Amino acid sequence: MEIELQEIRDFLAGVPPFDELPDETLDSLPEQLEIRYLRRGETFPPKGAGAALWLPRSGAIELRDAAGRLLARIGEGATIDDCLAPPPRPTGEAIEDSLLYCLPCAALRRLGEHYPTLERHFSISPRERMRRALETAGQDPIGIDDDLGAEVATLLKHPPVTIDASASIQQAAQRMSEERVSSLLVMRNECLAGIVTDSDLRRRVVAPGRDPGEPVGEIVSSDVHSIPPDASLMRAMLTMTRLRVHHLPVIDGDGRLLGLLSDGDITRRQTINPVFLASDIARADSLDELIAASRALPELQLRLASANASARHIGESISCLTDAICRRLLELGEQRFGAPPAPYLWLAGGSQARGEQSAHSDQDNAMILSDATRADELPWFEDLARFVSDGLNACGYVYCPGDAMATNPEWRQPLATWRGYFDRWIGHPEPKALMLSSIFFDLKPIHGDESLFESLHAEVLEKTRANTIFIAHLTANALSHRPPLGFFRNFVLIHDGKHDDTLDIKHRGLAPIVDIARIVALAEGLAPIATDARLRAAMGSPSLSREMGRNLRDALEFIARLRFRHQARQIRAGVVPDNYLPPAELSQLERSHLKDAFRIIQSMQELLEHRYQVGRLG
Amino acid sequence: MKALNPFGLTARRRRAAARARGPLRDFLAAPLPDPSAPLEAVELVALDLETTGLNPRRDRMLSYGLVELRGGAIPLRGARHGLIRFDHRIPEAAAVIHRITDDQAAAGAPLEEVLPMLLETLAGKVLLAHFARVEQRFLDAACRRLYGGPFLIPTIDTLRLAERLFRLQNHAIQAADLRLFNLRPRYKLPRYRAHNALSDALACAELFLALAAEIQPDPARRHLAHFLC
Repeated sequence: MEIELQEIRDFLAGVPPFDELPDETLDSLPEQLEIRYLRRGETFPPKGAGAALWLPRSGAIELRDAAGRLLARIGEGATIDDCLAPPPRPTGEAIEDSLLYCLPCAALRRLGEHYPTLERHFSISPRERMRRALETAGQDPIGIDDDLGAEVATLLKHPPVTIDASASIQQAAQRMSEERVSSLLVMRNECLAGIVTDSDLRRRVVAPGRDPGEPVGEIVSSDVHSIPPDASLMRAMLTMTRLRVHHLPVIDGDGRLLGLLSDGDITRRQTINPVFLASDIARADSLDELIAASRALPELQLRLASANASARHIGESISCLTDAICRRLLELGEQRFGAPPAPYLWLAGGSQARGEQSAHSDQDNAMILSDATRADELPWFEDLARFVSDGLNACGYVYCPGDAMATNPEWRQPLATWRGYFDRWIGHPEPKALMLSSIFFDLKPIHGDESLFESLHAEVLEKTRANTIFIAHLTANALSHRPPLGFFRNFVLIHDGKHDDTLDIKHRGLAPIVDIARIVALAEGLAPIATDARLRAAMGSPSLSREMGRNLRDALEFIARLRFRHQARQIRAGVVPDNYLPPAELSQLERSHLKDAFRIIQSMQELLEHRYQVGRLG
Repeated sequence: MKALNPFGLTARRRRAAARARGPLRDFLAAPLPDPSAPLEAVELVALDLETTGLNPRRDRMLSYGLVELRGGAIPLRGARHGLIRFDHRIPEAAAVIHRITDDQAAAGAPLEEVLPMLLETLAGKVLLAHFARVEQRFLDAACRRLYGGPFLIPTIDTLRLAERLFRLQNHAIQAADLRLFNLRPRYKLPRYRAHNALSDALACAELFLALAAEIQPDPARRHLAHFLC
């Protein structure tokens, strides 16, 4: 290669799947390329050009199907395959002035003979590629250091709590109480003068009878050791043991005070594990203790994600602990308001019921009362619902914006009323009922008399199984959640050609699969609630082929994993986790895998749309 | 559009060929493309030279870079780049631009080898360059010195094309606007490292594809004559 074609080589080295090629092969690539230019508005592929693999170097190409529907928008760093992809040939136009690198098919095939991965990248179906991506995903850790090898900085979430050395000892103690800390950093002229801890107050103030009005600077231990933010937790631990201290200020190379590390921070990190947490929750005697336990949930989610647990496993662990918190709140409520006057059942709905929760989702819940409940007994259930719902809110499970909670009298009813609800929803599907379907057709008993749900659940499944009109309405409603077409530069490309800045991974990625699973499960009258379990149970039935079932399960796992990784980054950065993924966070390869997952969802949606003649519902 | 006289060029080439020696004679004797031919049917060679200065009588060529254009595309298989031997000190003013060192220049191929190769590559084709006067005049000086005749070739100059286009569009033109690397962003062309002969030749070739598409959007009506100097 002429070394001056280096810039072209370097560009190719960043475009999948060429990024996997060895250096010497990359070196020989540029000379096999042709360069073409399309002015905005000109048709693609350029006239007179042979079949090729196209790599836009600048500008953008829009691909459309025979009916003129937008299929994709391809910019720099993506490829258009006109060699190995199954027909129809990609056609469209340049929507910007575009410089295109063009690798003739013969050259691509020659490369493919030497590098099977390259050939497979283009020739295998999106499904196959998705499956491979999942198989290798386990080897690709999220990049969060494990345990004691992690840097001290990873544990610093709050700015340091400080006080000036001239403040009084009493002021220092007050500040410690206000901030709920057991140690305080004492500053003199912007520099760290020392630390005051609870035990210093005991040993150096109260015991010797010192005046609390004296400056706090008088009682600090002056030879303070510190630790840099990039030191390992292991080193911090060893330093504390050696110095027999419980706290170490963290100071960076420029002498800036970043925070205070306590030995408790380190041990807490070690013990955040679902089993310990579950027992903490079960033993909690007050709302405060439950709140404290629930605070560990984001950290647990982060740790599970960094240990490369499957998304299904993470969702189950978090949901399980939410169940435990609910149960404990109900027990505490029963202690407070006395034994239940009549049998009842508390149920979770939505993602908690499906075991797919991430830390601190909204709360969705309901109560089924016994038909024998008397009117004068009703206030007890209202009090309990209020207590539990408030408690959940305090634990970070904020109130459901749609009021689908047991505090709403509509969702705190005797069994007969619930039976009537489901009869009406299934027999006369209305928009409101369909909107609620993601909550009330995904119910799971949490606490109380489970027999109140068993027969109801069986009846509901019996009715949905026989009712194609209901399933058709459910399908029409679900089709409002369409996955995006893919990515274009750092935007998410939506169906009508519009852009989103971020990928709403919950509504555009997970919700469509969750909806599909609910539809096929209800259509087949299957009992499972969890999306993966529903798909597994329905596979091989008339509603879901084995192949499609497998594809959807893979897509679900892949998308959910990306979501947990996104949230892990946010939790680690001390930001409240959300579901909005900036495309910049995704590698080119992940984008193409996501696009594959979207395509799988889309093809199932089209299948359902066709099967239930959704267009006729009007 | 400026009147062209390709027949004049052909006649001058014929007369010069009679007196020229060696490779230059063959170059001048090669038939030229028909000016009325569609641009896509014509072969072009985008050429850039790095030199020790701007005076073709005093200064020398240090390196060349070229890419070919055919059928509306740039096949990179035809890309060439090389250093030309120069045994003196390279003036600092030039060295800071192209970053060719004295040692590198001393290790280049002798002009006696490079020039025949360039003439053979360019024979029967159209020269494409940005501010083509530099390439024309340096090759002309070298041909006269080595082979006793002028370097005569149909030429397309992307600087002149851009200038013409700006005038048609009533743009106020400043000299800096017409530099190769200031024109490219107008057509969303990527940023390349400037002042390497091959990068510059490629940059010029891509710019020409963009200019040609703007000057005549319909490829069927894009004739060579529209673009010649």
